[in-house]
Amino acid sequence: MALIEARGVTKRFGGLAAVAEVSFDLQDGEILGLIGPNGSGKTTLVNVITGALPYTGGDVRFRGDSLRGLPSYAIGRLGVSRTFQIVKPFRNLTVVENVMVGALFGAVGGARALADARHRAEEVLDFVALAHRADAQADDLNVPERKRMELARALAMRPTVLFLDEVMAGLNPSEIDAAVTLIKKIRDRGTTLVVIEHVMRAIRDLSDRILVLFHGEKLTEGPPQEVLNNPDVVSAYLGRRFVEQSRA
Amino acid sequence: MKGSRGKPLVIGAAVVLALALAPAGLSPFLVQFLINLFMLAALAESWNIIGGFTGYASFGNVAFFGIGAYTTGVLLTAAEWPFALALPAGGLLAMAFAGLIGMPILRLKGHYFAIATLGVAETMREIVYNLKITGGGTGLTMPITRSALPFFYLMLGILIAATLVNWWISASRFGYGLIAIREDEDAAAAMGINAALYKTAAFALSGLFAGLTGGVFAYWITFIDPEGVFRVIVTIQMIIMAVFGGMGTVVGPLLGALVLATVSEVLSTQLVSLAELFNGFIVILVVLFMPKGLAEVIRKREFSLRKLARNLREYRV
Repeated sequence: MALIEARGVTKRFGGLAAVAEVSFDLQDGEILGLIGPNGSGKTTLVNVITGALPYTGGDVRFRGDSLRGLPSYAIGRLGVSRTFQIVKPFRNLTVVENVMVGALFGAVGGARALADARHRAEEVLDFVALAHRADAQADDLNVPERKRMELARALAMRPTVLFLDEVMAGLNPSEIDAAVTLIKKIRDRGTTLVVIEHVMRAIRDLSDRILVLFHGEKLTEGPPQEVLNNPDVVSAYLGRRFVEQSRA
Repeated sequence: MKGSRGKPLVIGAAVVLALALAPAGLSPFLVQFLINLFMLAALAESWNIIGGFTGYASFGNVAFFGIGAYTTGVLLTAAEWPFALALPAGGLLAMAFAGLIGMPILRLKGHYFAIATLGVAETMREIVYNLKITGGGTGLTMPITRSALPFFYLMLGILIAATLVNWWISASRFGYGLIAIREDEDAAAAMGINAALYKTAAFALSGLFAGLTGGVFAYWITFIDPEGVFRVIVTIQMIIMAVFGGMGTVVGPLLGALVLATVSEVLSTQLVSLAELFNGFIVILVVLFMPKGLAEVIRKREFSLRKLARNLREYRV
């Protein structure tokens, strides 16, 4: 049985189907790349699965149990966590306090006492190489640091499945390399990952499989090389003419 | 944070002891002033739970104060309950009401929440005005007590309890949940916090202390009417005191109440016309000089013209 089984997930905003009949399986321990042009429904899909938006149709099962209709906090406690594309720091808290919240309220069996939570937060900050900023105000962090804090907060929840929504946006090439290494380390520690990203090099290096969304529908799914060379995927990103030119 | 935990407790215990012994050496006027000060501080601390820690600016907390006052008053007079039962009943009813009304209106945010709470308080006043059991517009008269001392110690006790609850919130898992909700509710929910439950609990706690304060107020002042105990200005005072002292801190509301109650007492006896303008001045000064409150200024020992200039730019004055 797959860790997550999504079947016919649909989300409509009025007449617009932001996500239409998307089905996929997520295997335990894999990294699934989720790509697609802007507006193709990647973030909406994550929002629906993690309970931030209600379903229009379909269902998602986590270890066989339906997640549909559960509030987002309950899904977080079951072990399905996410980061936000537009980071949402707790601005008036320090970095370590931000991460403590994840430990205090995360997956069942988490660190419920403040001292334990602080300890775990410090460990996680060390893991994401942000320990030196532990006592800084979250508001004082720069963009790459904020992205790493966002990641640290989610990791402190000890998730089984983690959805990363564009954690590499705004990073420079060497920072992206560091992020790729970090994400692989997260997987090696036992967390299954779904990675939304526009940085193709990172997606190719990271993913065991890639799922492509286009206009809310699943365009294709498969191994990175195969998917990224698929003419439909190229035309979805760059337009039909580009495919014809590259063939000529 | 760890090493400094003992110190506020010691200072707090010393202040409480001094206050507990104070009535013996003070004039009746000063005892009355202190009762009023304790009441305002307790109200500011109660508002701080929902407004300061949770970030939901309630403009209707006077409703809980009024419900506490009227419940205690009606039980004391019409039902002839002893005060020892009537007061907790008032507090608990205010708490239950806050919890119930909180479930729907805490779904609103920002200005919408503020307006909804304002509406709740105004509605409560009208309801009490039109009920028979509350005496309608003529109000309720309590049995008269000879000594002010019981009220002194009751208000002090409620203030201490409210402060301790704020202190507990500031250093507990529950408090981290509330602060996370204040900072970003979507992120808080994604991180496993049951925001609806936490907000409602915070609102109910806030209602409990406002209700208890109202109950003591009713018996102390011996006469209550709808205009008196459902005044919007009472909520505004809670907010200004908490904001002036420092929202979301434990000592902030205490500092705010102490400074503002003292100044407004002096003004209202010396310069009545200025007293009316006072609250407005305070809001302007706080925004310009110390948006995070007096407690923060004292803690960081920073108070500079450069900061004033920055705030002027930031708030586009």
